[in-house]
Amino acid sequence: MSGLRDRTAIAGVGYTPFSKDSGVSTLTLAARAILAALDDAGLTVDDVDALATHRVGDSTPPWVVAPALGVPEVRWYLDQFGGGSVSHSVVAQAAMAVAAGVAETVVCYRAINARSEFRMGGTGRGPAPLFDVQYQAPYGYFAPPQQFAMSARAHMNAYGTTHEQLGAIAVGQRANAVKNARALKRDPITMDDYLASRWIAEPLRLLDCCLETDGACAVVVTSRERARDLRQPPVLVSGAAWGGGDSFFSGAGSVPSGTDLTVTEAARIAPRLYAMAGVGPGDIDVAELYDCFTYSVVVQLEDYGFCAKGEGGPYAASGALALDGELPVNTHGGFLSEGYVHGINHIAEAVAQLRGTAGDRQVPGAEVALSTAQPGYVLAGTSALILRSDR
Amino acid sequence: MMIPPEPDRDSAPWWEAVRRHELTVQRCGGCGALRFPARAVCNRCRSLEYEWTPVAGTGRVYSWIVNHQVFLRPMKELVPFPVLLVRLDEGEDLLMYGGLAGGDAAGLRDGLPVEAVFEDAPDGAGATIVNWRPRAAAP
Ligand SMILES: [Zn+2]
Repeated sequence: MSGLRDRTAIAGVGYTPFSKDSGVSTLTLAARAILAALDDAGLTVDDVDALATHRVGDSTPPWVVAPALGVPEVRWYLDQFGGGSVSHSVVAQAAMAVAAGVAETVVCYRAINARSEFRMGGTGRGPAPLFDVQYQAPYGYFAPPQQFAMSARAHMNAYGTTHEQLGAIAVGQRANAVKNARALKRDPITMDDYLASRWIAEPLRLLDCCLETDGACAVVVTSRERARDLRQPPVLVSGAAWGGGDSFFSGAGSVPSGTDLTVTEAARIAPRLYAMAGVGPGDIDVAELYDCFTYSVVVQLEDYGFCAKGEGGPYAASGALALDGELPVNTHGGFLSEGYVHGINHIAEAVAQLRGTAGDRQVPGAEVALSTAQPGYVLAGTSALILRSDR
Repeated sequence: MMIPPEPDRDSAPWWEAVRRHELTVQRCGGCGALRFPARAVCNRCRSLEYEWTPVAGTGRVYSWIVNHQVFLRPMKELVPFPVLLVRLDEGEDLLMYGGLAGGDAAGLRDGLPVEAVFEDAPDGAGATIVNWRPRAAAP
């Protein structure tokens, strides 16, 4: 089951600055991030033959970005519908396209004005017309913080997970962001600050929530052989997995999650993800875990096999997730403190760690990284990558 | 009610029953399994045959939130308000959402017995929703 293992590589990474009001279009953000990623790789737009993104009606699609940049010929593109849960499948599908010989150089990007234009969960904008919304929205329930709060409460009920354990994640990731010049939030916070922050949807507070961010990020995917001839040390796509999620459908999938809110789709994709890369949880040197909320880190620590089910809270509070801990997590500060580009900035940070260029927040000797998408709640799937340095 | 229900073609009979203050689920014509939310096919035996059948309207609280953030303007008058996720007594995997009817959010706990209470929207809006009221546990 080695599948895509080590056949493709991430050869370049680019960012725009992160802000609360970019003042520009998502097309402009995409172009800036893509040009930066190509420059990082030592490539130009003339080398690009494919583009890939995901969006929820909030960004500029590949067939607009490509002619705007003057891409000579688009041989493949992906305009994936979906939010954070599909973020890592965009890079995985780009790797598939390269491995299949359909494309040679794919730029994957995500460009959002998630604070100044399209806020997730509303600013007067109605909820997306999805199947499950009709059973929830009449009760004022449709926003992501509410949905994750519901899961977090179920986890507290089942396993005794505490507010302080969630707070340890917020405080710890902020400490990492202090060492990241790109981070939106660089002022250290304490547990008292966390516990004093206002409720958004109990049991989640403001400091449990990621930062609504304007910004873009792009990565360049090409073959391992080609990447070896480029400017940066290649970071190999060693494993990739994605899949559909369970729901509150009675009788749904049900193994392992079904209608149990304390288990996510990550538990189902993790075995085939690790199998493709030929590694296990103990081999992961650094983990960038989708942190739309602190709780999503807790449940992924369990579902990706770093601790037993129910132990995610105590594990997070043990200090294990710090830069010098057993499993450094969200080394850039994550969406909670660096900024929220809907998944791709986790991939970009994993690349920096595996290149050894993460500066003050570098995990010494990091060779294998896990980077994950939103782990799935009602009607959502998930996706994840294992990346490794080419040495 | 902040957002009126928007039934789809599968769920319309469920919402019509709620409008009559009846709580129903689907019963598979192939294997007899009860299911919710509404959909045309059984995910166990794949039968397309089904009927709508009444349930008792009792269940137990599985999880809940207390919402404080004003995500939509009409919420401003209502916050903080709880939203419950309830497992029906007819089946562990029959889950329904709803507000709290009576009682205090501070009294919510895992497994709290509740019963369905139907709330009609004022002004003949033609919509009814299902909330949940704490009840004495069955013996
Ligand atoms: Zn059946």
